[in-house]
Parts: sequence; structure tokens; C-alpha cells
Amino acid sequence: MLFFFNSNKMFFLFTLFFSTLISISSNSWLGCWIGLEINLLSFIPLISNPHNLLNSEASLKYFLTQSIASINFLFSIILSLFLMKNFFMNNFISILINSSLLMKMGSTPFHFWFPNIMEGLSWLNCFILMTWQKITPMILLSYYFNMNFLMFIMILNVLIGAIGGFNQTSLRKLMAFSSINNLGWMLSALMISENLWMIYFFLYSFLISIMCFLFYMLNIFYINQMFNFNMKFLIKLSIMINFLSLGGLPPFLGFFPKWLIINYLILNKLYIISFFFIFMSLIMLIFYIRIIYSSFMFFSFKFKWFKIYIKNNFFIMINFFSFISLLGMIFSTLFFM
Amino acid sequence: MLNMWLMIFIMFMFGNMIFVSKHKHLLIVLMSLEFIVLSIFFSLMLYLSMIENSMFMLMVFLVFSVCEGALGLSILVSMIRTHGNDYFQSFNLI
Repeated sequence: MLFFFNSNKMFFLFTLFFSTLISISSNSWLGCWIGLEINLLSFIPLISNPHNLLNSEASLKYFLTQSIASINFLFSIILSLFLMKNFFMNNFISILINSSLLMKMGSTPFHFWFPNIMEGLSWLNCFILMTWQKITPMILLSYYFNMNFLMFIMILNVLIGAIGGFNQTSLRKLMAFSSINNLGWMLSALMISENLWMIYFFLYSFLISIMCFLFYMLNIFYINQMFNFNMKFLIKLSIMINFLSLGGLPPFLGFFPKWLIINYLILNKLYIISFFFIFMSLIMLIFYIRIIYSSFMFFSFKFKWFKIYIKNNFFIMINFFSFISLLGMIFSTLFFM
Repeated sequence: MLNMWLMIFIMFMFGNMIFVSKHKHLLIVLMSLEFIVLSIFFSLMLYLSMIENSMFMLMVFLVFSVCEGALGLSILVSMIRTHGNDYFQSFNLI
């Protein structure tokens, strides 16, 4: 594993986790800003590698976007502190603060850095970028939530995430667009309640962790590598099941948080948003299936001489997690008998 | 008072404009970042001296902004070591 035996990276991982905790548990906006800064300062050394062109470029782009976003965040915070003494809802300033936070988590109108940076990272860093780095801006967003603006942003998120992934052949960019799509769902969950957001975030990061760990183990970065490997049938099956679960097909675990969100959206009479969500999750399912379907079903080479390079044999863990991802929702009904 | 806020606004806007406009070198972008930090330092000083009277926050702000500037410079050095220059036209590999 990447982090476990390198004491520098262990330290920066530790400060990464604790900066998020500082930021979401602070009681002033300047404390939140300090948490964001520590987060940036500890994530850059994790992703930067002086011997690799792509890594250093990704760290540069990440630094520029995050620093300008946090500076704009701080400026709008000071502006609203000065103008209004305490935070009542002002349309202009709330849009300023919300859009700087949206830029920090890579949401849609400011999403252009997100697939680019994902392209330059390893899978484990991609996992951190897709899950843990989104906690802080979302919690801060829930403190100061401009409903009308963010409803528009949610619909745009889901649309861009679904349409942007069409022509991609790189799996990391594809997962980045899937993350943008799921960001729309998470923002709508945040609009309804924080517990709902927590359920959605936990299950989404669980599914994403399975995918990232599988791809890390098999060393797969592009779609055409799916055909070249002489993968065992069980590995292909577990990739297929996890993708279907991530896309939210009903018997699997990934459907459960989407079901909850659709339920609450319809209870709150937000029919247009739920229509867009359901419609775009169909498109997401199409290109999830397109990754693995042809190599799974009918079109796959079997090279006699090709030796697959598997980094470590943690397949028992993968099988256990994909078992949860397959049957989790069915077994969760046992709790309510 | 209004004049000061006007000046802060102009500094902030111009810093952002320099940041997003296409320049040749990375160093100019980092310097525009420091310029925005300077305008924020000014506004924070104004705010803390008028309203809250807790000037130690200025120290905290300076520490973090200096850390950020040092990180930017170290990224600049790392880019020069990998790419050989700091032109933005060579930074589009991904």
C-alpha cells in the first residue's frame, strides 16, 4: 500500500484527517478557513511526486484552484462579517460563499479542474480526492445554504456528470464524472437533512472504495485494459456487480441511498429535481455497463502468454465487500422484521 | 472608511483578474495570489480593529498565508525540476 510504510505520508494523512475535523467542528468561520488551509497544505505533499510529470502537474493545478477558492472564501467571509455583523441571509454574499465552496469540492460550474487532476493521481489518491476531500466543503455549505442557487447547481451537476462521461476512455476521468454526478445527489441530500447526507456519503464512499481498490490491485487505468487482461471470471463478475451497485440498480446496495433521497424529494414536492436525478442515473448506468459489459459477456481475448500483474492478493477482502455490496440491501430488511 | 473599502475591492478584483488571465509564467500567478492575500490582510486588519478587537487573528492569518506562499514556491521549484521551465504552455499534459 502507498501510505502505510512511509512515515512522511502517514503524517500528512493524519493532518489531512484532522484538518477536516478542525474545520467541521470549529465555531467560527475563520476557524473553518484554517481547517481548509491545513487540508490543502497536507494534501499537496500526498499527491506530489518529483519524479513524475503527471503527479507534479496535478499538484500544481490542485494548488492553484484550491488556493484561489479558499482566498475568495475568506474574502467573502470578511465582507459579510463587516457588512452584516452576523450572518443573516443575503443573496449576493451567500452566492459568493457557496460558489467558492463549490469550487473547492469540484462541483459543476467550477468542475473543469476535477477530471484533469484525477488523471494525474494514483487510485488511492483518487479515492481520497473523491470522498474525504468533499466532507469539509459540504458541511460548510450546510451552514449557509442558498436554496434557489443550489437547486440549480444540483440539476446542473447531475446533467454534466452524466453527459461528460460519455466519450471518456480513461477510467479515472470516468470515475471523476461519476463523482460529479453523485455530488448532485449529495447536495440534494444535504438540502433535506444531514443524516440523509451522512447515509448517502457513507454508502457512496464504501462503493467507491471497492472500485478504487480493485482498479489499484489490477493496475487498470483505461477501458481497453479490461480486454487485455486474462482476468478470472470472478474478478470480472465482482467488477460488474460493483459497477451496477454504484449506478444504483435496485437489488444492490447502491440503490438504497438513492431510494431514500428520491423518497424524501417526492415528500418535499420537488418533482422536477427527482425527475432529472432518475433520468440521468439511467445514463450513468449506461456508461458504467459499457466499461465491463463487452469484456464480460462476449468479447474477450485469451492470451496464452500474458501474465497479469496483480499487486497484492487481498481478494478475500474484495469478495467480502462485494458480497456486502451485492446483498446489503436485501439483508438490511432483516433489521426491520 | 469607504475609500479604504473601495481600495480593498479594487485590489481584490485586480488580483483575481491577474490570476485568471493568461500569463506566460507561473511565478506571476503566485505573485497575484500574494497580492490578493495582501488585500485580505488589509481588510482583516480593518475589520479586527473596528469591530472585534482581537488582533491575534492577524498573526494566525499571516502564518497560514506564508505557509501557502511557501507551498506555492515549492510547487514552482518542483515544476521547474520536472519540466525545465515554468511556462504555462508546457503544463497541459493531463
